[in-house]
Amino acid sequence: MEGFVAKHVDDYQHGKINRRRLIEILTFAATTAYAGKAAAAESSGLDVALVNHVSYTCPDYRRAADWYSKVFNLDQVGATNRDVALPFGKKGEKPLGIAANDVPLTHIICRTRPQETATRASTRPKPTAVIDHIALTVADFDRDRAKAELTALGVKNVRDGGPYSVYVDDPFGYEIQITGIGVTAVCGAGDRAGCGDKR
Amino acid sequence: MERFIADLVQGLDSGRLNRREFCETVALAAAVYGAGEAAQAQASRGFKVIGINHMSYTCPDYLKARDWYGSVLNMKSEQTRDDGNRANMMFGPEQGKGGTFLVARTPKSVASGASGIKPGVEAVIDHVCYTVPNWDEARVRATLKAKGLEVSGRDGSLHVFDPFNYDVQLASAAEENAFKR
Repeated sequence: MEGFVAKHVDDYQHGKINRRRLIEILTFAATTAYAGKAAAAESSGLDVALVNHVSYTCPDYRRAADWYSKVFNLDQVGATNRDVALPFGKKGEKPLGIAANDVPLTHIICRTRPQETATRASTRPKPTAVIDHIALTVADFDRDRAKAELTALGVKNVRDGGPYSVYVDDPFGYEIQITGIGVTAVCGAGDRAGCGDKR
Repeated sequence: MERFIADLVQGLDSGRLNRREFCETVALAAAVYGAGEAAQAQASRGFKVIGINHMSYTCPDYLKARDWYGSVLNMKSEQTRDDGNRANMMFGPEQGKGGTFLVARTPKSVASGASGIKPGVEAVIDHVCYTVPNWDEARVRATLKAKGLEVSGRDGSLHVFDPFNYDVQLASAAEENAFKR
């Protein structure tokens, strides 16, 4: 609580918030059971560290998992009769750029279930948004080498995605972009040709 | 690699890079190179995945999505890429060093009522789960409630819906981990 107050006093003294706002925040905090709730109510949101997993639903999860294992060298763990997880690394490894111990490797869960129950609550309206492709960053990316590798693996419909990425379709027609680490949210800001996602 | 390093040294000498940037870039290059080497050693075919670079999220109104993901999940919009049809919402590590982004976009066809689902696609990513570090159950729930969201799920693994009824899961490492299934 002390740190919470100190932070807001500091903000006030540096002109980041006005006197009225300071009073509102501290009053709310003081009248709330514990500081955690007050901080949560006042804060802007949750800091997400990484994608934990993407839930990929298709007609045959084994076929999908085998394809992702083959193309991306991913192990299959925790298989059940309806799904399997494919982590982006080995047990004990940390995601790139993550120092914290409580942020696990991202993984894909390939699963098969009726489309009607693919989302948690079938009573809700269907989503009007879609994740139409995901891009995977791979080590040591080189476009020409990647295209040759994909062709050798029997992957069809390989197409350019700018100088630093390629697009492919998985066995169920889902579009996967394969990129180098240089493709970022800011790339292309001054030089569109340098960005892998030009669409 | 050698040429890459040489360019970096030149950048350091010319003042384009400071000492810290130089060290970080070399370390990153070594890590990425190492990952590539390891991949080659482990398998003769295929790629070594470092992580998700980005997810392309198509919806009827990217501004709503931008504001929601910015407000609820503290994603930061890269303003230079917000062109009136899309926004790149960054989160996690620094971009180019393991960071990810969500591309919230509204193509004209979708703005006109199309679904955004490509013909012939038989698979769907029906939800995305994000890891929240330093998980504090009360704090996470209070934050989501303060945003006016209906929360479901179990402790350490919660679900909410975004403005387009897309299922968003938030989880701790303890509850959602590929090796603990």
